[in-house]
Amino acid sequence: MTRLEALGGQTSKVTAPRRNLRRVFEPYVFILPTVIILITLLIYPLFYTLQASLSNFDTFTFSPATFAGFRHYERVLQDNNFWSSVRVTAAYLLAALPLQLALGVSIAFLISVQWPGSKIVRALFIIPMVVTPVVAGSMWKMLLDPLWGYVNYLLTLIGGKPVLWLADTNLALISVVIIDTWRWTPFIILIILAGIVSLDPEPVEAAKVDGANWLQRFVYVILPMLRPVILSAFLVRWLGAIKMFDIIYTATGGGPGNATEVINMYIYDTAFRSLSFERASAMSVLMVLAAFAFTFLFIRFSHWVER
Amino acid sequence: MFASKSRRVFTIFVLTLIVAISSVGLSSAQEQVTIYGMVNDAFARIWLENLVPAFNEKYPNIEVVIDPVPYGELLPKQLLELTSGAPSYDFIVTDDPWLPQLAATGLLMDLKTDLADVTDPDYNWDDFAPGALAAGEWNGGQYSVPVRSNLLLMFYNRTLFEEAGLEEPGEGYSWDDLAADLPQLVRDTDGDGTDDVWGIATYFGRDPLTPTIWQAIFNSNGGQLFDAELNPTFNTPEGIEALQYHIDLAQYGPPGVSAYTFTDTLEAFRQGRVAVMFNWGSVYHGVAINPETTSLTAEQVGVAPLPGGSAVDSSSHRGIWTAAIPREAANPEAAWTFIQWMTSQEGEVFTSATVGQFPARISTLTGEAPQDWLVDVFAAINAGYDAIGQGDMWRPRLPDSDGVQQILALHHSRAMTGDVTPEQALADAEAEIIEFLTDKGYYD
Repeated sequence: MTRLEALGGQTSKVTAPRRNLRRVFEPYVFILPTVIILITLLIYPLFYTLQASLSNFDTFTFSPATFAGFRHYERVLQDNNFWSSVRVTAAYLLAALPLQLALGVSIAFLISVQWPGSKIVRALFIIPMVVTPVVAGSMWKMLLDPLWGYVNYLLTLIGGKPVLWLADTNLALISVVIIDTWRWTPFIILIILAGIVSLDPEPVEAAKVDGANWLQRFVYVILPMLRPVILSAFLVRWLGAIKMFDIIYTATGGGPGNATEVINMYIYDTAFRSLSFERASAMSVLMVLAAFAFTFLFIRFSHWVER
Repeated sequence: MFASKSRRVFTIFVLTLIVAISSVGLSSAQEQVTIYGMVNDAFARIWLENLVPAFNEKYPNIEVVIDPVPYGELLPKQLLELTSGAPSYDFIVTDDPWLPQLAATGLLMDLKTDLADVTDPDYNWDDFAPGALAAGEWNGGQYSVPVRSNLLLMFYNRTLFEEAGLEEPGEGYSWDDLAADLPQLVRDTDGDGTDDVWGIATYFGRDPLTPTIWQAIFNSNGGQLFDAELNPTFNTPEGIEALQYHIDLAQYGPPGVSAYTFTDTLEAFRQGRVAVMFNWGSVYHGVAINPETTSLTAEQVGVAPLPGGSAVDSSSHRGIWTAAIPREAANPEAAWTFIQWMTSQEGEVFTSATVGQFPARISTLTGEAPQDWLVDVFAAINAGYDAIGQGDMWRPRLPDSDGVQQILALHHSRAMTGDVTPEQALADAEAEIIEFLTDKGYYD
């Protein structure tokens, strides 16, 4: 006889299954609000986009109408402008991410050393991050203006000629990368700086005792120890960079020609200017799948490096 | 006794009837109501600060709440608003090319028929310039009325023309005349070896409004974007020539002009750096009158329609904001009272003088201008309306007008940057537009 049975077995025999049942369902009740919010805000829009991409969208009722199969996906894959925007997005990512990462790690290392005013410099680095993208885009558009922009003014002071930063098809994407780098490198700096501060100082000190100079200490000791932090910073920045839209929207509008038309810009124009919501949805789904695949690969790579 | 009772009943009946009729016919003038409007943020604030208080002096019982919405979000929001089933707004103010799309939903009131009973008998529809009123028409219905008329005009800096030894553009000024003047308007005024004033600034960059300049050139030479069956008719030698002309204009603009859209164009002209600007007429006040926004004076700034071509003596392009009332609006009569007041001659004179917006009524345009500076402007607008009417100078009148304009903008920009030739740009645009319209079900 158990202790419970001794205390009044009848009652405990009735309540035990109930208690088990409660134990099973109780956690679900607690997470239910979160699940509802997730379904409403995350999963429903995704399914709606998927549904719209497989339907003929009726702009008069503003809702997906008849089933269209994969027709819109076929159209998107045959669309030269779509592939052009994919190429521009790839070029932007390949230029911006390594540049921001290299600059972020280098600057973080430089300002990790305490020197008079280093705290002020660190604080200043936060400014670009808190400037909204639309303001950043507009501000840089003015700075890069060929006629009265400050950048060209400085160039002419040192004997240079005005440069068409945003009007030249060969330079426009580079200018966008510069603006994006100005805005996001401080983010990398802060993450890496936090990583450097939390590093175990002993290996660095040991290397110093062994005669390693600052560059050797950085390359052979600090960088390998920072690898997980760098990979995390890269992942977070990658997830932000594939959503690039607002700076380009304000600075170049995707032009000149389609020189800076990244995929998000093209999706926006297709949806809200051409009102082809079904094609825009198809592109969005493809974009989500591609982003998901690359993110998965980066995470696997990051785990492999950490091992 | 009986006769007296029946007279009393009759009197009560008549009085009740009078009250009932008054409450139907004049509800907007006597009951306290609040109406909500969705308006582009570019002029929503001016309306709230100037227009609404003036309206409330006459109609204190109608509170007007204006919701400013950025241009890029306006059309989708208006479509959602109409199709939601329970509109939150009593009136919406929409851009010229969007009206067909909104009207095609069947969810806008036909102002001439649906609201005929509550229209002021003095409200004269025939007084509107036909080209302007047409901005609110769709399939024979009048779904909106011009509240902020606008059209492309040519602004020229008289001082720069004089300094270059040129006569200022007059009547009959043609695209050929402009081409002849422009090289002489690019000058080095301080003798440092680099040019510091230029011939022209206008839309050249990638923007849905950039093709409107090309369209004006093309239209003035007799071209049209589509035929009656909606087949594209712009990929022709005339269309290519017009595009090449637009591209060539950029040679005479400031550095970087090939990326110019609305704001850059305005800045260059207001600072006295370019002699000619093609821009929307509504910028006149900020360009020539307001010393806080311009370095120029009214005496320095000339205004006229765009040059003429082989088909018409001058050209332009229509860009009229019109006000419409959703069929399911909560207070359509009060909204219509507000819109009627704004678009009456009294309202137009007020808005021209205080808000700087242009009228669409012939009587306002040809009557006494409420400000001296408006004399030349009204003359230019009037001439512009004539040109617009003669050459059908507006964006395509179809529910998917914006999509067409978007395609034209992309390929125009590719030609402007030299990525492709004008021939290739128009061929690509034609193919894409056919594909787009086929996809939208325009062709059988």
